[in-house]
Amino acid sequence: MIWHTVDFVCRETALHLKRDRLIAIATISTVAVLLLVLGAVVLFLLNLRLWTDRLAHEVQIFAYFESDFPREQAVKAPEEISAWPEVLSTEFVPKEEGWEWLKDRLASSSGLGDMENPLPDAVRVRAKDPRHVQALAARLEHLQGVKDVVPSAESTRREGSFTGRVVQAKRIVFWAGVVISVLVVVAGAFIIHNTIRLALHSRWREIYIMQLVGASRTTVASPFLLEGMLHGLLGAAIASCVLVPVHMYLRDLSARATPFLFLAPDRALLPFTLYLLLAGALLGVTGSVVSIRRYLRRKPEWEA
Amino acid sequence: MAACVELKNVTVVYPNGVTALSDVDLTVNDGEFAFLVGPTGHGKSTLLKLLYREETPARGQVLVSGWDVVRLSPSRVARLRRRVGVIFQDFRLLPRTAWENVAFALYATGAPYREILRRVPQALSEVGLLDKADDHPSSLSAGEQQGLVVARVLAVRPPLILADEPTGNLDPRSSRHIMQLLEGASRQGATVLVATHDPAIVNAMGRRVIALHRGRIVDDKPEGGYPDDLAHG
Repeated sequence: MIWHTVDFVCRETALHLKRDRLIAIATISTVAVLLLVLGAVVLFLLNLRLWTDRLAHEVQIFAYFESDFPREQAVKAPEEISAWPEVLSTEFVPKEEGWEWLKDRLASSSGLGDMENPLPDAVRVRAKDPRHVQALAARLEHLQGVKDVVPSAESTRREGSFTGRVVQAKRIVFWAGVVISVLVVVAGAFIIHNTIRLALHSRWREIYIMQLVGASRTTVASPFLLEGMLHGLLGAAIASCVLVPVHMYLRDLSARATPFLFLAPDRALLPFTLYLLLAGALLGVTGSVVSIRRYLRRKPEWEA
Repeated sequence: MAACVELKNVTVVYPNGVTALSDVDLTVNDGEFAFLVGPTGHGKSTLLKLLYREETPARGQVLVSGWDVVRLSPSRVARLRRRVGVIFQDFRLLPRTAWENVAFALYATGAPYREILRRVPQALSEVGLLDKADDHPSSLSAGEQQGLVVARVLAVRPPLILADEPTGNLDPRSSRHIMQLLEGASRQGATVLVATHDPAIVNAMGRRVIALHRGRIVDDKPEGGYPDDLAHG
């Protein structure tokens, strides 16, 4: 019986697709264009988020100890700091290592090699989230033996600070992503709903007759839902066939042109494609459900 | 004998204000064969539509095999319609082949696939359309389309058959054949209710005749002919 039902739904769907080829093409191309836009927005946001996340991890705080603070006590500080919930990682930086690192960075500056090391021992701290940098800096300032914190809580509070900009950029990226995605999905569902409604309108009488001979609503609706899902999947597949190669090309291009502008790796495109296919199928089914409910409850106008 | 169809004090008013049926009381028993007669537009089709819930009454109760038709949920309406075979005056065929039209009705009743394969050619053969199984209704004559509607009903073997002017598009020979098929279904236990304004058929069959005039039952004879006063409109 189950196979009989599956066979019937598949045959009916095939019949619909064959008979209403133009409507199928219209729906599939609408879904494809829509998911192309949605997919492009998602890929852009994915890359932007990758970039802001990378920036966020670049944000690090140095807590410098008093020069006469005993090293054996300073060495224990990272253990205490790493227990704080906002901390991602912490590391003790002996003043000798700090001095070598600074000399490397400022290699072009002359005379540093002859100077006596002015740096004290320090602790390097990375925050889990750049929003926590200010609170973390303030907390580090109160740690025993700490003389200076760079950046200080005061400097991170100021507008235009690096961490402030990163936090703001992440927030903007998140909300822009939410708003654009919601707009595109809502517009898409509306367009698909209307396209499928057009398809259903041409079969209104047929749906009505099926119900008159005793077909249940599920029997009548199932082929339309499968049809909607196939339209969505095909549209998503077309969108993926455009977006994935374009992204791979741009990634290659950016890797060659600018070593600092990283795009999402190719392995991230597989889950992206799967999500896009899922989104297409869901859009198609949702559009069909919303549309067919209306036609299952009403007599065709010429029968009324 | 149990009642298959019961109408109790039923009134139907259409949205345009026309009263199609007025205070109708009617009982048709299981296995009975009855004609609904009367001029066009006097409530025959409306009465039939009540029985498969295409129309609902403004007042009164409609019972089919004990089911209160007006109060049925959508899933129950589908179940009711699987038990009521309707021969529509305007055919109401699906835009697919003759074979698929009959097969769909069987599928809707939940018939197993093997049973569908057995019953479809049998029903098409009974109405003389087996050689046109792959034809679409649009390529069939009006008489053949009517035959296909009858085949769709006969294949399902429902306990109640409603026929709305089943011979309206047929020549006398085909009309006789269709009526023979309906009589055959009745002999096998189905209750048959035929709406017609064709006195020739009614008079030839000698079955129960229920006469409707202006939405009211004006005559009900157990074995009668077409009422003379309605024969000319």
